[in-house]
Amino acid sequence: MPRASIIVPAFNASATIAETLKSLQDQSFQDFEVIVVNDGSTDHTVDVVAPFLRDNRFHVVKQPNRGLAGARNTGIANAAGYYIGFCDSDDLWVADKLARHILHLDMSPDVGLSYAGSLMIDDHGQPLGLKQTPRLHSITAAEVFKRNPVGNGSVAVFRRAALMDIAYTPQKDRPRQWFFDETFRQSEDIECWLRLALTTDWEIEGILGHLTKYRIACGGLSANTKQLASWKRMVNKLRPLNPGFFDTHEPAARAYQIRYLARRAVSAGDGFKASKYAHEFLKTSLRPLWEEPLKTLTTLAAAECLARTGYDPMRFASVLRR
Amino acid sequence: MSHASILHLTDDTTPGGVMRVIDNILSSKHLAKTANHRMAVVKKNQLILPTAGVDVIVSHLALNWRNFAARARLRAMHPNIPMIHVEHSYTQGFVAQKVLNKVRFFAMLRSAFCLFDRVIAVSNAQKDWLIRRDLIDEDRLSVIRSSVELTGFEALPKPRTQARVFGLVGRLHEQKGFDIAIRAFRECSGPDLRLKVFGDGPMRGELEQLAYCDPRITFHGHCDDPLEPMRSIDALLMPSRWEAYGLVAREAQSAGRKVIVSSIDGLQDHISDGAIDVHDHSISAWSQAIIRAADAVDKNRCTKMVKPRTGATRFEAEWEKCLESV
Repeated sequence: MPRASIIVPAFNASATIAETLKSLQDQSFQDFEVIVVNDGSTDHTVDVVAPFLRDNRFHVVKQPNRGLAGARNTGIANAAGYYIGFCDSDDLWVADKLARHILHLDMSPDVGLSYAGSLMIDDHGQPLGLKQTPRLHSITAAEVFKRNPVGNGSVAVFRRAALMDIAYTPQKDRPRQWFFDETFRQSEDIECWLRLALTTDWEIEGILGHLTKYRIACGGLSANTKQLASWKRMVNKLRPLNPGFFDTHEPAARAYQIRYLARRAVSAGDGFKASKYAHEFLKTSLRPLWEEPLKTLTTLAAAECLARTGYDPMRFASVLRR
Repeated sequence: MSHASILHLTDDTTPGGVMRVIDNILSSKHLAKTANHRMAVVKKNQLILPTAGVDVIVSHLALNWRNFAARARLRAMHPNIPMIHVEHSYTQGFVAQKVLNKVRFFAMLRSAFCLFDRVIAVSNAQKDWLIRRDLIDEDRLSVIRSSVELTGFEALPKPRTQARVFGLVGRLHEQKGFDIAIRAFRECSGPDLRLKVFGDGPMRGELEQLAYCDPRITFHGHCDDPLEPMRSIDALLMPSRWEAYGLVAREAQSAGRKVIVSSIDGLQDHISDGAIDVHDHSISAWSQAIIRAADAVDKNRCTKMVKPRTGATRFEAEWEKCLESV
């Protein structure tokens, strides 16, 4: 039995999945299996994956399209490892990611979910100069809700027992077990992490380093209100679990969500939206202002600058970086 | 052990699961054959206990940092008396929702459990959690699922085949999740459906507010006779947020009532006994479960074979075994 299983959900991923699987094959920790879940791809993903199957640690599971959450659930059902990690089919793992998470989980028996920071890369795998550097310790449910320290879906490495504690079998999909909620098309990640934090006593803890290369497709980060809608749906789903928690933290968490949209609008050069979201998040809650003053103020300044002058301050920043 | 003297300690005399389980032990004729069970109420961590001639102390006390010194003192004052602790309250769900500093909390539980010779979990799910979290060694832990005298429940008239009257029985406290059930029930349209709420507690005002203007939902306060709520309902809802065992589910099942539970903590023990599980605490999942229970015509559940009571119930036998072991 392998020590770790890495689940790679793949839907029409022929362009990127070879690089993803190569990054997994090159891990410094070698006792793992990779489960590629072909989620009803209509392109030649199968052919791209085929050469990797010569390595007997690589397996493919095929299913009709269920979406990201459904593919991950199928992957978990087929996983044999004691630890279970996820890597989406366009992202990459840094060579010692698995080794470091396994060391972390081995040393800390109370940690159920181990994570680390991420580097953003573009379509060609080149670094964008952007990083996610989340807080690593004292992660409470409130921190997960407001700041989502896990960040994206290619970061988390779970202890199997922790995943089993959040498993459930919905009436309409018996006997399949769900870990991620398949009724979500967005926010399925944060829903899962937050459910883990709200219903189990497993610790969520991060380790130093930027161990995932997270690909941002051209224009893939434009602000979209759909995201906010699915986020609100997640809140409505989980609220009855602990109404007091949501009463306390929801305004601030929503403000952070809208601040994120404002930042995306700035990146996309949309001054009107940026300024609209900037005003909206301040109206929702002032907490981001004193919890993260620097980031909040630069967001506000950038949004205003873009809205009034039409000059994108991010371009200036990227000139500086060069 | 020939007629040992066993002292049960409790600090919670509110009518509820803990008191009823102790009463059941005290009134058990089978257990009285081998030992003399007594109860003492510990008020404000008092020092002096009627421990003269006591062979075994069984603690039903709550453990926390505030009373840790008192528990340690109890151990120190009676170094030679075997002590058993029954963990009635803590579960994974409780820790997830109510504990801010888990490391500190687990340190307290581990240290407090060390004061006792044996710890008893009240459900298999609780036992699994205690072991998985390494809060106690497996060989010092046993499971005795709580029980009360069930003959009265078994003798109750069977409910109608289609569930019409749903019941919530317990303290009106956030733990029980009655707010979820009331909200979910309001989403179910059947005009002949009823929801009866039995119990009292800090959330009463809030729950009455939630049920406002829905005449199908009625509040009946606390009943001293546990048979009374069960007599008037067809199905029991238990959307608890955490629950060490959930004795009332056991009572409802022996009365042939449908039992719908959230799949957390000790409630998982009832699922294998035939309770219907609801996979999460969302309003939609609970209203669907209520509608399904109301629509289903239950054919195969009918007169349950009443097990002939020769000798001891499992509960009594397990207690006897546990007391012999110390």
